[in-house]
Amino acid sequence: MTWSRDVLAGKIPVTLVTGFLGSGKTTLISKLLLHPDMRRVAVVINEIGEIGIDHDLVTLSSENITLLANGCICCSVRTDLQETLRDLFAQRRVGEVFDFDRVIVETTGLADPAPVVQTLASDTLLAAHYRLDGLITLVDGLHGVGQIDQQTEAVKQIAIADKILLTKTDLTSADHLETLCGRIRQLNSQSPIEFIRQGEVDPKRLIDLGLSSSRASLKTLQFLGEALTDDAVSADGAGRYLGQRSAAHNAAVKTLSLRFTEPFEWLSFSSALELLTTLRGPDLLRMKGIVNVDGDPVVVQGVQHIIETPVKMDRWPSEDKDSRLVFIVRNMELEVIRNLFQAVGAIKSAPVGAT
Amino acid sequence: MLQAPQSASRADQTLSLNMKLLAHHELEGFGGLGEGMGMQLTSDGRRILWLAHESAPKNFSGVDVTDPQNPKLIVQTELPHMKLRSNSLDVVGNIMVVAYQATTVGIKPAGIDIFDVSQPEKPRLLSHFDCSGPYSRGVHAVWFVDGRYVHMSSGAADFQPRNPLDDQFYRIIDIINPEKPVEVGRWWYPGTREGDEAPPPPRLPAQFDTGFRTHNTNVFPEQPNRAFVGYIDGGAVVLDISDMKNIKVVSQWNHSPPFNGFTHTVLPLFDRGLWIVSDECVQDNGADWPKLVWVVDSRNEANPVPIGTFPAPPYEAFAKRGGRFGAHNLHENLPGPTSFRSDTIIVGSFFNAGVRVYDTSNPYQVQEIAYFVPGAPKLSPAGAIQLNDVYVDDRRIVYTVDRFTGGLYILEMNL
Repeated sequence: MTWSRDVLAGKIPVTLVTGFLGSGKTTLISKLLLHPDMRRVAVVINEIGEIGIDHDLVTLSSENITLLANGCICCSVRTDLQETLRDLFAQRRVGEVFDFDRVIVETTGLADPAPVVQTLASDTLLAAHYRLDGLITLVDGLHGVGQIDQQTEAVKQIAIADKILLTKTDLTSADHLETLCGRIRQLNSQSPIEFIRQGEVDPKRLIDLGLSSSRASLKTLQFLGEALTDDAVSADGAGRYLGQRSAAHNAAVKTLSLRFTEPFEWLSFSSALELLTTLRGPDLLRMKGIVNVDGDPVVVQGVQHIIETPVKMDRWPSEDKDSRLVFIVRNMELEVIRNLFQAVGAIKSAPVGAT
Repeated sequence: MLQAPQSASRADQTLSLNMKLLAHHELEGFGGLGEGMGMQLTSDGRRILWLAHESAPKNFSGVDVTDPQNPKLIVQTELPHMKLRSNSLDVVGNIMVVAYQATTVGIKPAGIDIFDVSQPEKPRLLSHFDCSGPYSRGVHAVWFVDGRYVHMSSGAADFQPRNPLDDQFYRIIDIINPEKPVEVGRWWYPGTREGDEAPPPPRLPAQFDTGFRTHNTNVFPEQPNRAFVGYIDGGAVVLDISDMKNIKVVSQWNHSPPFNGFTHTVLPLFDRGLWIVSDECVQDNGADWPKLVWVVDSRNEANPVPIGTFPAPPYEAFAKRGGRFGAHNLHENLPGPTSFRSDTIIVGSFFNAGVRVYDTSNPYQVQEIAYFVPGAPKLSPAGAIQLNDVYVDDRRIVYTVDRFTGGLYILEMNL
């Protein structure tokens, strides 16, 4: 009985779409809802009135749920997102809404995505049935530079994104976009940047960003940023996520890559991570990596102080069995984090029976 | 909750989570299937799924499922008359055992047939073992996995039950010579046979009294001296069969009363000291609800302790959907080369609540991880799907059958 289940396969992926006010989220969502490939997708939005769906395209509607002709379920948040996602799953199970296979959530303009991530990770029902697939941040092609300069929220949204969509690219010059991409790259050196116009985006571009399986494959390496994908080279050719440090720059937000050859004990590794998130959670914008825990590969990822449930992989995805971690941090130095993990790595528990 | 045009959760609606339909076969219009499913690996490399029909006129069907997306019916056989059903079968190598149960006592044939299916298109009858009698309806279920012993729920010519509902008991038939089957052991619930010293067991309330008789009688190579028996209203009974002439009770656990009886399957998870015990729902429209799957801690086999139940499909969505609603058969970790085996993943059929997959890694908090509820099959008298049995092969392909008209559904699990 050696076969074991893929602990992630059964979970419904959730994509979070965030972006600063005016970055074009409503336009994107309005277009997305009507896309022919949105069958079996549930889209959770803040206010259905803002979207303005043509009545001819609505086949069923209730207080907060609208079923569209293309098979997409549009659901507005009633009380809070936690309740809405719970409710959606319960209704799916009894057949009150049609079977959806993924969820796209529009967060409010000023919202910090971290609490949404926390909700998914900590609510037992949600954690059992959903998994965070990725964070997508829309950046205003026209006003993005100013927002990065003036708004800390905008900086954070870019820093934690798995993919960045640059909007209104038809309204600005190539030079300006180049400057903006440069600023984005200083905050987030690895996530792909895509240009979109008038909210037109293929839903396929918004999915499969996260770890979708505990069975190691090329996709695991892509998730870790170690295998080049179409996405990775789409904008400026900067691709590799792990294994190299981002270009030096002066911004307070940095990408730090760490590598450890000695395997960790789970207790010491998780204690270090906990210490780090407790003390510096607000400055720890994003973290992901693969850890050698007594020889076994364990994928870890987190947003600020929230560490998602670690996933033990069935095998190493490549020959490389070093622990590799990447942090996107604010006002922190690489050495601080490295020293912490090195220190706990050196502390081994006493062998059983030792006095 | 949803406004018109149609109310939600309808019986014609297919529901799924992490399962995909690969193929559906209506078996030439005879899609009412029982609880006998077995897979044969032929000498030329084909996989034949053998299916016992739920009721006359058909006996059993063989479906080539080598390519699970393209199942082909290769043989379908007839019963000798309409007062008979086969319901159950098992196959080991090229030997297939088929049960026969009559609608009332005293009818012939009733017992088991043993077939040579080395040419699956032409099953060849090797012998018939007669279990008919003045108080016997014959055989309801067989368990045949080691190529030698048939463990079964059967009546016998010499067995007069005190209560006619208690007509089927545990019998072991040795078919080492498949042309000359012989009985080598039997056990019945004390007090159920005329002449027993023990007093008759107290019965469940009339509306739930389905009898003190055996249903599934499972014996596994991991522990060949134990029989795991679902004894219907008698609960879960584990027997020491090391001496087949002198079978002894090892464990007995019964949730009824206060529950509503009908213990169907006792599936041991040997490495974990657990039994997964399923009930069978036998009444329509939720009348005998709840019918559950139980997790029993069996580390001390003299003192089995229930520690939980599987999360049940929602009553509101299914109880009135049509037909039966609740637990029935489990995939039973058969020892053969074509069977899926897991000590954590359990797959069950739940009548109108479809086929469901559970992860029991935490036995105190079992998780539902996949399900598939087909829309109501055409012409079904229940008006809803009634998945009766399930078999999972070593490729983790799930085969499940409807009790009335839907036939065979072949599914893939995304696990």
